[in-house]
Amino acid sequence: MPTRRREGLVAWLIVGPWAIVLAFPFYWMLWTALKTDQDLYNTQNVPFGFANGSPTLHNVRFLFEETDYARWLFNTVLVGVVVVVITLVFAAPAGYALARLSGRWGQSLGVGIFLVYLVPPTLLFLPLSRVIAELGLQDRLLSLMLVYPSFTIPFSTWLLMGFFKTIPPELEDAARVDGASRVKTLLRIVFPISVPGLLTVVIFTFSLCVNEFVYALAFITTSSQKVISTGIYTELIRGDVFFWGALMAATLIPSIPLALLYNAFLDRFIAGFTGGAFR
Amino acid sequence: MADAQTRPDDSKEVTTRTTRREILKRAGVGAATIAGGSMFAKTSVAGAAKYPHRELAGTLRIIQWSHFVPAYDDWFDDVYVKRWGQANDTEVVVDHINQADIPARAAAEVAAQSGHDLFFFLSPPAQYEDQVISHNDIVAEVTEKRGKMKDVARKATYNPKTKKYFAFSDNYVPDPVNWRSDLWAEAGYRNGPTSWDAVLKAAPKLRAAGHPIGLGMSNEIDSNMALMAMMMCFGSFIQNEKQRVDMKRKPTVEVLKFGRELYRQGMSNEIFAWTASSNNQAMVAGRLSLALNAISITRTAEGQNPDLASKINLAPIPSGPNGRLGLEHVMGAYVIWKFAKNKTAAKKFLVDLETKYIGAFENSKFYNFPSWPASVPNVPRRLARDPVAKPTGKYSILGTIAEKYTNNPGYPGYTNAAIDEIFNKFLIPQMFAEVAQGKRTPEDAAEIYARSFRTIFQRWRNRGKI
Repeated sequence: MPTRRREGLVAWLIVGPWAIVLAFPFYWMLWTALKTDQDLYNTQNVPFGFANGSPTLHNVRFLFEETDYARWLFNTVLVGVVVVVITLVFAAPAGYALARLSGRWGQSLGVGIFLVYLVPPTLLFLPLSRVIAELGLQDRLLSLMLVYPSFTIPFSTWLLMGFFKTIPPELEDAARVDGASRVKTLLRIVFPISVPGLLTVVIFTFSLCVNEFVYALAFITTSSQKVISTGIYTELIRGDVFFWGALMAATLIPSIPLALLYNAFLDRFIAGFTGGAFR
Repeated sequence: MADAQTRPDDSKEVTTRTTRREILKRAGVGAATIAGGSMFAKTSVAGAAKYPHRELAGTLRIIQWSHFVPAYDDWFDDVYVKRWGQANDTEVVVDHINQADIPARAAAEVAAQSGHDLFFFLSPPAQYEDQVISHNDIVAEVTEKRGKMKDVARKATYNPKTKKYFAFSDNYVPDPVNWRSDLWAEAGYRNGPTSWDAVLKAAPKLRAAGHPIGLGMSNEIDSNMALMAMMMCFGSFIQNEKQRVDMKRKPTVEVLKFGRELYRQGMSNEIFAWTASSNNQAMVAGRLSLALNAISITRTAEGQNPDLASKINLAPIPSGPNGRLGLEHVMGAYVIWKFAKNKTAAKKFLVDLETKYIGAFENSKFYNFPSWPASVPNVPRRLARDPVAKPTGKYSILGTIAEKYTNNPGYPGYTNAAIDEIFNKFLIPQMFAEVAQGKRTPEDAAEIYARSFRTIFQRWRNRGKI
């Protein structure tokens, strides 16, 4: 067998099973979302087939007609977008300053800032609840928009710091020699080159916001103000009863655009994460 | 020949290809528009809208669990509170939360010293006694209107040391045994789980047939209740009437041995990792032959697996050497925080809810039993005429269980803060699990855990709560 074909086959043999394992949960979610309860709970039925009234869109209809799911999706996107903007506004200049302007202390400071990210929300949600209450922000999405940057900014700063270091300083020197100010250099030279890093920050920050649970639970209880992480959990798990079909549909729907987003910008995402790895 | 006159003007060339940069730019503008516009909207970041058609004098904010019967929440949110709100010139806002998140949310509100006027717990929150008002006057008012409070509710929400009702219990939930009549008949036990001895004898045959017994030994509420009740049936009690740690060695060792044998002969090791919904799901999927759980199992089966539902029977807790002693499955207990903004409306709401509890009882499909029995007349007749019960009259046994076999956690004493802590730390399931898995002998486990309970009790005694 020619070498190239053999190498291709070996690659497929390694990658293929992993791909099946990783994709299987999504396949399971899709199949469960399309099943009736009678089909799902009947252990005589083949789990990968349909019976007893399946496939059905009842679970999806239930989500959008009987719950505030559409509202939760909107709230999640809104919070995500605002937090991404706040994070970029703070993390990008901070990352640049640490990479270029802070001398010997830059690296240590960057690591120190990153360590803030490691403090778990389960430790902080109690004191932050007090702060949110004092500010009168209970049950408001603004509370999440102000608190989420507390963990997105540290990680993003650290990530961008590493990325900015990969940019040759000669480019900035050349711009400065031509008369550009520091800010202009940043905006016209550094940031455009840093698109992979910035994109990584955008995608990662948005994912963190979508997945966050503890603060969303502690600060917001009104159904119309919930995000999907708490809304799904509250309304589709009632007491000791799980509405599996609707649960799977609810978690699958936001996964699809996220997966498409990752896929569309995968090369830049990887470049963003690994860009700072070699300095 | 193309020349300057005929060649297209490059500066006017229109690019139709959409690049990633373009997508991002447009998405960013759109998102900024939405975010900016929404910042000033009355809803979304500004919070939920006020009651639309009428300016009401006050606001009452309630948080409670998402009831497993969606119809109950529909009735409560859309019918009862609306009617009550209009009658009392109060806007009532009801928020729902998953039952597993109640402790975290309560802790957040206490830390914030801000939150809801009425907070609902599924077990008596003795540990929050200092954070709540005295509910004595509410209890007194309902007692005046509806007579005596049920002992199980009284002993679960009253502290005899401080003479304070630290919560108001509107309902408790009886805890029947759910058993598969067809499987038990095949195993040769047509009468079902009448005693723990019968359960142990039937267990090997049932498991061999692929239908193990389902008593959890994990950190979740069902395991707590089932195992505490089993202990009482064997004569082992965490505390006595004087609120002193009891845990007599002989019956405690005996029940731990029994639990170990039951696991070895009739259960599967998944019980060590169960959540509150695990026994429901396993029973409704047709796997388990027995589970100790409220009627959420049978009600779920009626909707999702009606054929199976007709084979699930209900029975009181099996009898043991010390008789038949059970616990409530959960107990609804509202508290009014000291920092609540509308205590007056909160108190009136509770009084009105409890004095006419028929709607709650019926819409919960008999899950919520009233803490004042006189609040719902003719309970046996209501239970007997349930339209979907198969076999007919299946739910009548709930009346007997509620009457005779339902006690409070901590029985024969009161449900105090120490019991609450033991309950919330799932120490009883851990004790049984360690013995069942062979990590400790029954004798060691009985001694070690009794010692740990004494430490807990002493700590609360030092704080003046016991």
